[in-house]
Amino acid sequence: MKTEEQRHSQLELCIPYVFGRLNPGNRKQFEAHLETGCEQCKRELSELYEAIALLPLLLKQEAPPSGLRQRILSRLSSKRSEPPRAAKPIPQRGVVEASVTKAPPRSWYLYASIVMGVLLIISLLFFLNDQLRTTGELEKKLTDLQAQIQEKQDILGILQVQKVEILQLANMDAGSQAFGRVFWEPEKRHAVVQVVNLIAEPADKQYQLWLVKEKKYLRVGEFDVNKEKSNVFAVMTLPVGERQEIEGFAITLEPRGGSTQPSGAIQLRGATK
Amino acid sequence: MQQNALAQRQQCDREDADLLKRIQRSDQRALATLYDRYAPVFYPFALRITGSHEVAEEVVHDVFVQVWEKGNSYATQNGSVYAWLAALSRMKALEKVRTSNQKKKGSDGEALQPRAPLENEEKQGGQETILVFKGYAEEVRNMLKNLSKLELRLLELSYYEGQSQSDLARMLRIPLGTIKAKMRRGIQKLRQAPAQEGKRP
Ligand SMILES: [Zn+2]
Repeated sequence: MKTEEQRHSQLELCIPYVFGRLNPGNRKQFEAHLETGCEQCKRELSELYEAIALLPLLLKQEAPPSGLRQRILSRLSSKRSEPPRAAKPIPQRGVVEASVTKAPPRSWYLYASIVMGVLLIISLLFFLNDQLRTTGELEKKLTDLQAQIQEKQDILGILQVQKVEILQLANMDAGSQAFGRVFWEPEKRHAVVQVVNLIAEPADKQYQLWLVKEKKYLRVGEFDVNKEKSNVFAVMTLPVGERQEIEGFAITLEPRGGSTQPSGAIQLRGATK
Repeated sequence: MQQNALAQRQQCDREDADLLKRIQRSDQRALATLYDRYAPVFYPFALRITGSHEVAEEVVHDVFVQVWEKGNSYATQNGSVYAWLAALSRMKALEKVRTSNQKKKGSDGEALQPRAPLENEEKQGGQETILVFKGYAEEVRNMLKNLSKLELRLLELSYYEGQSQSDLARMLRIPLGTIKAKMRRGIQKLRQAPAQEGKRP
């Protein structure tokens, strides 16, 4: 329980702040105070948000008209995550860039490079934690780094499972050095797509992975190749997981945000049969 | 607070955090699950704020599309996914009311109006299908009976209608100091619900 002496004047502002009713001047001042990393106000705010969020529970629950669910879900498949905003850098969803390799990496090499990456980030985390303990910047950085670690752990997780399927992807252009592979866990349908030497996409385009089933192309997800000749890993979830159900995978270049059907030429392709 | 009701809420919070992680990895089924769980809470909630079924649907639509696109903006340390969704829904709904009021200004059309709760709508739990932490929600409802009528009304006016404390003072002709004190008390009572794991004993 907080004692009265421990309270400071800004704490007063927490209630109008969570209701969004501070005037612009006070709001700016209060946010500047939060930026200094005041733990007391942060805790207070978080508890207030939890508390007022209980009010909707007083209302009678009622499902929206049934069409809404479908409308939202179909909207998702036609529009994916927006490009990272400049103001607050967020690691590109599901994409981790590993070191540049010229030859197809053997799997121990791949594994070791990921482990190194994880270790590096963990040590960086501890370093930052010591250096910037109180700044608001720290939290953002930590969140970013934690997301990166999560991605790498996801990759490790998929590579470590007992039953992992692998399919090589070959390029469709004789002059290209590009190749790739898809690793996936049939049961959970978690997948990692790895591509090497694909050229960096233009700003308005994105690479897209497709799963071929019954001669149809099912959308899996988009990823970016920012640097030419780099070795890129992207984590995805497949619409189906069993090898018998999957005829193959293909990668095309699509307008940024992805397409529902392939519109660009196939860059890489692999078939299970 | 009953132990099992609290455990139910905590279980729910953990599952939500997992769902959000999967959403961040573009797992559509996770979003569908989160929708099934919370749309029945935030649809009537948006309806309460906007007074329009159509706009309430838009709010729910926008909220879940935003969760999909910006799931990364949720930070675990800031509290439960549920509270984050509530704040997002409230913001979107109030935004719709504000823009509709601006548009309708000077025209004959009706602006969006908060929809007053129907008589005894908030009391009966009988025929409704409570999908989300049922036991916990019932506990919260019981607990909110400790709020005085004025305390609850002030919180509702602030929460659903976005009234500022000084607006409330003017509107209800109650001194600002009293408004502040009553609201603090009301919120204090809400805070007695242990909402988050490990937050309070
Ligand atoms: Zn403070």
